[in-house]
Amino acid sequence: MENLLKPDYGVLVLTICNFLLLVYLLKKFAWNRIIGGLEQREKQIADDKQQAQDARAAAETLKRELDEKLAQISDEASKKMAEAVKLGETQKEQILAAAKEQSERLLEQAKTQIEAEKNKALADVRGEIARTAVLAASKVVQQQMSEESAQHVVDRVLQEIKAK
Amino acid sequence: MDVVEIISHHILDHDWGVTLGGFRLPITTHTVTLFAVSLVLLFGLHWISLGRKSRTGRLLTTLSEEYVAFIRDGMVLPNMGEEGRRFLPYFCTLFLFVLFCALAGLIPNVKTATSNISVTAALALCSGGLILYCGLKFHGFIGFLKGFVPSGTPGWLVPLLFPLEVLSLIIKVCVLAIRLFANMLSGHMVLICLLLIIFIVGQMHIAAGAGAFLPAMALELFMTCLELLVAFLQAYVFTLLTSIFAGSVIHTH
Repeated sequence: MENLLKPDYGVLVLTICNFLLLVYLLKKFAWNRIIGGLEQREKQIADDKQQAQDARAAAETLKRELDEKLAQISDEASKKMAEAVKLGETQKEQILAAAKEQSERLLEQAKTQIEAEKNKALADVRGEIARTAVLAASKVVQQQMSEESAQHVVDRVLQEIKAK
Repeated sequence: MDVVEIISHHILDHDWGVTLGGFRLPITTHTVTLFAVSLVLLFGLHWISLGRKSRTGRLLTTLSEEYVAFIRDGMVLPNMGEEGRRFLPYFCTLFLFVLFCALAGLIPNVKTATSNISVTAALALCSGGLILYCGLKFHGFIGFLKGFVPSGTPGWLVPLLFPLEVLSLIIKVCVLAIRLFANMLSGHMVLICLLLIIFIVGQMHIAAGAGAFLPAMALELFMTCLELLVAFLQAYVFTLLTSIFAGSVIHTH
């Protein structure tokens, strides 16, 4: 057991040579490739991540632009809608005014026409009555009255009719 | 039964006494284990690094890359900074070498090479050499020596502090060797002692030996699992401490 802590220099030197040679050989035949593969994979992941971030940034920019355009279009649509409503209101008022004016005009025309027709009818009636009255009176008083008296009677009758 | 002889037989290195032209070749059970571990690592990692297209090949390639990332991001870069990147192959090899030497000891009839003080001293010397190289490479000879004295130290304290700091570095390297050696040796001694319990008790009475079998085997199983854990732990500690010591001479006070 006393040999437990007694170093064997041959083993020591051989171990150093063995280990250093192993480090060299592994570096040459294994680690360089593995580390290279790892770094390549990490680079690829970093590139992919960067690309994804770029794509996301581009998408966000595009979304922002589209949102702005959408808001702009929405504003324009609202404005145009308001203008259309306003125009509609104006046109409605104009149409209503024109219709009212036209109806009043037509009413006036109708009234005038009615008045004229009425006057005409009255004149006709009046003439007819006068003729009838004259005819009647003339027949009644044909033998008693002169023409002047007859006329006087007719006029008086007409005035009475008018008064009625 | 000579217990000490049995334990010694299992723990101590056995020289096969090969001489070449009067020069003793240190062909021992431990050095043979070292060669075997080295060959396994060399051929295994070379095969993995070729990047086979098979499922197993891809799995092992990914595993090896994750291992390198673990050593790089867990030990080398945090302790040594970007300057340590060039030493990554050394640390990757060191961890696997220490680990496989310890794991080899769990295989029946194979010795744990790292339970030999000469082997652990050799590994510690390699790490010491790396620390020295880092100091000289990044600071030059004078700068390296200046690094032993913290900035702001009063002039009269320098002659006292400088030898202490140099001694501290030497002790750190020695401690690397002794820690690994002691941990590996003690684990194996405990395993053998647990097995010997059966035979020692069995010599007293055969029934007692049979009764001691199950508890002893349960403890043996437990200790073997612990040894497995210790194998990983010691490989991690040895590599981590080497990177910390190397980092401390690169980034001085």
